[in-house]
Amino acid sequence: MLDVAKQAMQAARSAGADYADGRVVIDDEESITVRNQEMEGIDRSTSQGLGIRVLVNGYWGFAATARQEPEEIERTARLAVEIAKAASRLPMDPVVLSEVEPVTGTWHSPMQVDPFNVPLEEKVAMLMEATRRMQSIQGLAFGEGGIDLFRRRTFLATSEGTEIEQTTVQSGAGIEATALGDGEMQRRSFPNSFRGHVSAAGWEHILTLGLIEEAERIGTEAVELLSAEECPSEVTTLVLDSGQVELQIHESIGHPVELDRVLGMEEAYAGSSFVRPDDRGRLRYGSPLISITADASLPGGLGSFGWDDEGVPAQRVPIIVDGVFQNFISSRETASVIGQTSSGAMRADGWAHYPLIRMTNISIEPREGSLADIIGDTKDGVFLSTNTSWSIDDKRVNFQFGCEIAWRIEDGRLTTMYRNPNYTGITTEFWGSCDAVGGREDWTLWGTPNCGKGQPDQVARVGHGASPARFRNVQVGVRG
Amino acid sequence: MPGLLGPDEVRRVADAALNLPGADGVEVLFMHEWGGLTRFASSSIHQSTHREDTGLRIRVVKEGRIGVAASNDFSPEGALRTAESALEMANVVAPDPLFPGLAPPAPTPDPPAFDEATASTTPEQRADGVAELVAQCPEGFTAAGALETLASEVALANTEGQFCYAPSSQASVTTVVTGGDGGAGFAEVFASATKAFDPAAVGKRAADKAVASRSPRDLDPGRYTVVLEPSAVSTLVGFLAWIGFGGRSLFEGRSCFSGKEGEQVAAPIVSIYDDATADGTLGLPFDFEGVPRSRVDLIDRGVFETAVYDLRTAKQAGKRTTGHALPPPNPEGPFPLNLFMAPGDSSLEDMIASTERGVLVTRFHYTNVVHPVESTITGMTRDGTFLIENGEIAHPVKNFRFTQSIVEALKGTEMVGRDTELASEFFFSASRVPALKVSSFNFSGRSDH
Repeated sequence: MLDVAKQAMQAARSAGADYADGRVVIDDEESITVRNQEMEGIDRSTSQGLGIRVLVNGYWGFAATARQEPEEIERTARLAVEIAKAASRLPMDPVVLSEVEPVTGTWHSPMQVDPFNVPLEEKVAMLMEATRRMQSIQGLAFGEGGIDLFRRRTFLATSEGTEIEQTTVQSGAGIEATALGDGEMQRRSFPNSFRGHVSAAGWEHILTLGLIEEAERIGTEAVELLSAEECPSEVTTLVLDSGQVELQIHESIGHPVELDRVLGMEEAYAGSSFVRPDDRGRLRYGSPLISITADASLPGGLGSFGWDDEGVPAQRVPIIVDGVFQNFISSRETASVIGQTSSGAMRADGWAHYPLIRMTNISIEPREGSLADIIGDTKDGVFLSTNTSWSIDDKRVNFQFGCEIAWRIEDGRLTTMYRNPNYTGITTEFWGSCDAVGGREDWTLWGTPNCGKGQPDQVARVGHGASPARFRNVQVGVRG
Repeated sequence: MPGLLGPDEVRRVADAALNLPGADGVEVLFMHEWGGLTRFASSSIHQSTHREDTGLRIRVVKEGRIGVAASNDFSPEGALRTAESALEMANVVAPDPLFPGLAPPAPTPDPPAFDEATASTTPEQRADGVAELVAQCPEGFTAAGALETLASEVALANTEGQFCYAPSSQASVTTVVTGGDGGAGFAEVFASATKAFDPAAVGKRAADKAVASRSPRDLDPGRYTVVLEPSAVSTLVGFLAWIGFGGRSLFEGRSCFSGKEGEQVAAPIVSIYDDATADGTLGLPFDFEGVPRSRVDLIDRGVFETAVYDLRTAKQAGKRTTGHALPPPNPEGPFPLNLFMAPGDSSLEDMIASTERGVLVTRFHYTNVVHPVESTITGMTRDGTFLIENGEIAHPVKNFRFTQSIVEALKGTEMVGRDTELASEFFFSASRVPALKVSSFNFSGRSDH
């Protein structure tokens, strides 16, 4: 397939491209969903195709096709060049690519057991047993379990001499218990909501999750939530579990530091950012406890790779250090605008899409103590766990998140359970109010498999390492 | 340029799967799509793409067991391999006691007109459209957005003898114009053909709003009367489709309308229906299991009438399918994709003029569910939010966060616009809706811009 990528690149050069890359991608996916010991869905999909990206006189063009006959490759290459030439009808400063050393190599995400080779019967049996155990809880309406597997093979050839083959295998699973009654629907998920915990690993990852072992607890909590008190509306101390800190990082740090958003390139759709190019080294983003790193080399991260889709090597980039903003995540084009080199964050959603700046693994650096230590050190407040809902404005300033469950914290102990908890805030004020970040023992490298961006819509799987954390003076319990 | 493959070619490839040995039933869903999207920002074209793909999604039935596989290898060999993969999965799962069978043969409505000119739009033509739009920006303002032209053909074939096929074309342009001191304006148009839209008019509308929304002022959050433009209304209607109108969520008790059939759930001036075959939307004449589509009245003069169903959920609920299946396996169940809110008799100007103190909202952003059974959602305003005082727009205001029950907003609807627009929503398909005036809407917070 690397030959096809090279043919595409060469065809684009012959058609007039100053720079060209050809990228062949083969995506394989498998998904299984079981509900109340019945199959809700089992499917496999495969998609293969070729994307050709070109620069002509400083303007981008991109064309993609599922077919790979020589004449189709040449037609698509000519179309990419035609698209780039058409873009020049609206003048702009020509695109300049920051330097990158051409590279030849192969990379494979770490994996012990290929999940695509595990018998379907074994996968189905695990979900059947987990849902059986959830169903054993009296009053539970639905017990659901799912497994999702992804394999992406990428072959990239650029006109600068880069030739890369990469394979990424990602595996995830989760369970979800739903209780219904008296106009209420309550849900508990494990290990996380929205299809569980996805990691760049093989079947061995799924075996460590403990879906069967945790099923009864999750079912019990869902039922208990039906009769729990509503989370009160107040300004109080907020403790978040690492799964919720993950999404807080994603929405209020990861997206705002994407340099394409900062430069207005996403303005019309997902929005822009409150962060400005000259904020590096100056903007106080959070309290001194907040250090955030983008690391595409983390084993197991959904944002891990050998090279991005521009052939830029995986890097570890400090984003926020001791509360002060330091670096964006960037592409070759955007990095050159601010006089930098690319952070290596360009990824496309398969062969049919143009690469965009996507989060790699954007993680909070662990500090000290466990979740129990943080709660034990809190006199009064609420503890929220497991995301249900997220919303943030177009510049990533005002946010509101909902969680599945909360408990009152009184004198260092969890007491009353609350249902329908949520909280709202302003990004820099919120991170500035953080006075505790948990240590390595409760730090988890989570995956967010459903990050949307771009036009046409693209979905990326990205990673976030997160510890539990505590925030002061936060508005919780927002009601309609 | 790519072109239509046509029903005969689809049948030829689908037959390789339909004749799969060892299967009791086979369904082949075929989708072929191509198109270009010219994306612009800072009034320049920065990302411009073209793509073509052909997909087969095959459902195989064996003794009541179901497996699904998909591939973009559009060839008889690819179709057979995909069907074999689906059969392999069907062989290892338990039978589905609710499997209703594949769709029986039935005629489907005529597909919408296919516009060859739209399907073969060139990059230069899209760039020219963007140039016309961008030219509407006054000094100090720039435009961002996308102009897209798409063509597709969808077909469904199954071993019951059902075969349906529909080509379609689509053109859209959407833009946000920004500039001045915090000015932002939004406009969009969706149509089945490029000849039906005017990018310059879209640019002018967004630019005018951006100019008007410069220097927004702070306004305290709280409950306000609101006038919602169609783009904002499409968010309310789109989320109702997700948390309210699905047949599965309704009979499982997860819908905000569960147990409320025949009840007044909105003001009598509010009617919502789904109709993929009507003018003014972009719909397929059949659903993704081959059932013909037709109009379904969901809320009629404020009364909740019914949800939408596919074959499986209809069997579960003891109803008839309404032709709203999504592609398999679809654990979420059926979903309306072509919603309409019936027009009223007011103009947007009437709504503003009748408001003593309120807020005019252009559109909402990044909305999500807070409490599905109560239909409570939260999101932000963006691209033009204004204070109304004494029947006139007083000044622009900074963006609000809202946390609001959709059903309560529809109950408090005082006026319905006489003009409708096909308006997009971030997460859902576009709905054709009018503007609304709502007596009380909860702005629970605000942003700094």
